[in-house]
Amino acid sequence: MAANRPIKFRILELCHNSEGRWNYEIVQQIQKEYNLKGNFSRDSINFDIIELASGGMLKNIESKVDEDGIYKKGFLLHKYTITEFGIIRAKDACLMYV
Amino acid sequence: MDLKSLKQEEHKRKTKKGYMWALICAVLWGIWYIPGSLVWVLNPFDIMYAEIAPVDGDSTALFIAAILITSLTALTVMISLVLWNLVTGKYGEIKRTLKEFRPCSKWFMLAAICGGPVAILGSYMAMGFVGGAFAAVASLLFPIVSSTLAHKWYGEIISKRAALGIILIVCGGISIYAGGLLTELTTGNVRWLGYVGGLMAAVGWGAEGAVAGKGLDIAEPDVGLTIRFFAETLLWWIIVIPILLILGYPMIKYTLMAFEPMVFMVLMFAGLSFGYCYITLYKSLPLIGVGRGQGVANLYGLCAVIFIFLFFGDIPSWTLLLGAALCLIGSTVMYTEDTGDMESLRGD
Repeated sequence: MAANRPIKFRILELCHNSEGRWNYEIVQQIQKEYNLKGNFSRDSINFDIIELASGGMLKNIESKVDEDGIYKKGFLLHKYTITEFGIIRAKDACLMYV
Repeated sequence: MDLKSLKQEEHKRKTKKGYMWALICAVLWGIWYIPGSLVWVLNPFDIMYAEIAPVDGDSTALFIAAILITSLTALTVMISLVLWNLVTGKYGEIKRTLKEFRPCSKWFMLAAICGGPVAILGSYMAMGFVGGAFAAVASLLFPIVSSTLAHKWYGEIISKRAALGIILIVCGGISIYAGGLLTELTTGNVRWLGYVGGLMAAVGWGAEGAVAGKGLDIAEPDVGLTIRFFAETLLWWIIVIPILLILGYPMIKYTLMAFEPMVFMVLMFAGLSFGYCYITLYKSLPLIGVGRGQGVANLYGLCAVIFIFLFFGDIPSWTLLLGAALCLIGSTVMYTEDTGDMESLRGD
């Protein structure tokens, strides 16, 4: 998917795999694809992920402490995968090929 | 710190953030009733009413004035949101989301219909016909509409505690609503259009929350909000105002007069408080759910009563104070809810 659809669509698409994706990976990839620079964009994208998880579309499958400061030192890093509900919503909105 | 306690801490932070946004919304929403009440005694709305009333009657005159005020508010809210998006740099995302009509913008446009011509117009009607404090508390019933819709529509879980909080808030709302209405019933002078306006506000905002929640699933709140007010502004200025113009009402004359600095400043004040109250509400909904988010934002009723007392010196009746107290207790019941076992707010 090119960077011409809403960011949350792309996040759902990125999480649509069996292994799931770490939040810092998603944030980095979205920042690159959408050409969004800076910490404000970083936090904003991470907030999008949190919202999708709160809405039941993403599921947190693994967490670890950010020891090395990949994202924010001392905070948690989360690995997400899409939920059944997420797939239904994504099918309706963006994952046309599913 | 181990993983489990870090997780709990993070969850707490998230819930707190959601409630914090909802509380800021309540304060801003409460502030809105100051310019909202003030604007009714300012020209051109005062002389607009005086011009229409002898021909079409008092009720029609107030109704038309309420439409113009609501349309102008939509415009000033749009200006406020343009400023917000300039700072947050969300224009690209607005363009991307606007293009997604079926999954996203459709819901925001529907939310605009529930919010604008039903809720905001109803609220201005209540302010004009009955008064600011009444208008503020009249729509306190909206969490019951939003929670029921959210529960029926996309299976949002409403815990017993959240339900208790909502019920308490609703009881508070009823107390304030019934207080004014009963007094008027005894004097035989009931301003029905104002009370209908209050009901419109409750149903409109309740439905808006649930409808917007559907589109917010997969969109950014700031973006969803901007599209929602963009749609409302178009609705008023492309459809409603031209229709009233065709029907012979002096809309252009009074619209132009509203751009007089003092009047426009009051309208801008309304736009800023209302626009940013929406921004904070839309931020809270995905974090704590439609029912809870709007339940806490409901504290606006209490804020509005306090602000109106401070700015206009209107002393609240005991039913109003009782209602306000019930609202505060209800919101506290919801705020202290332990959501630790709820990873997601949605049912599977």
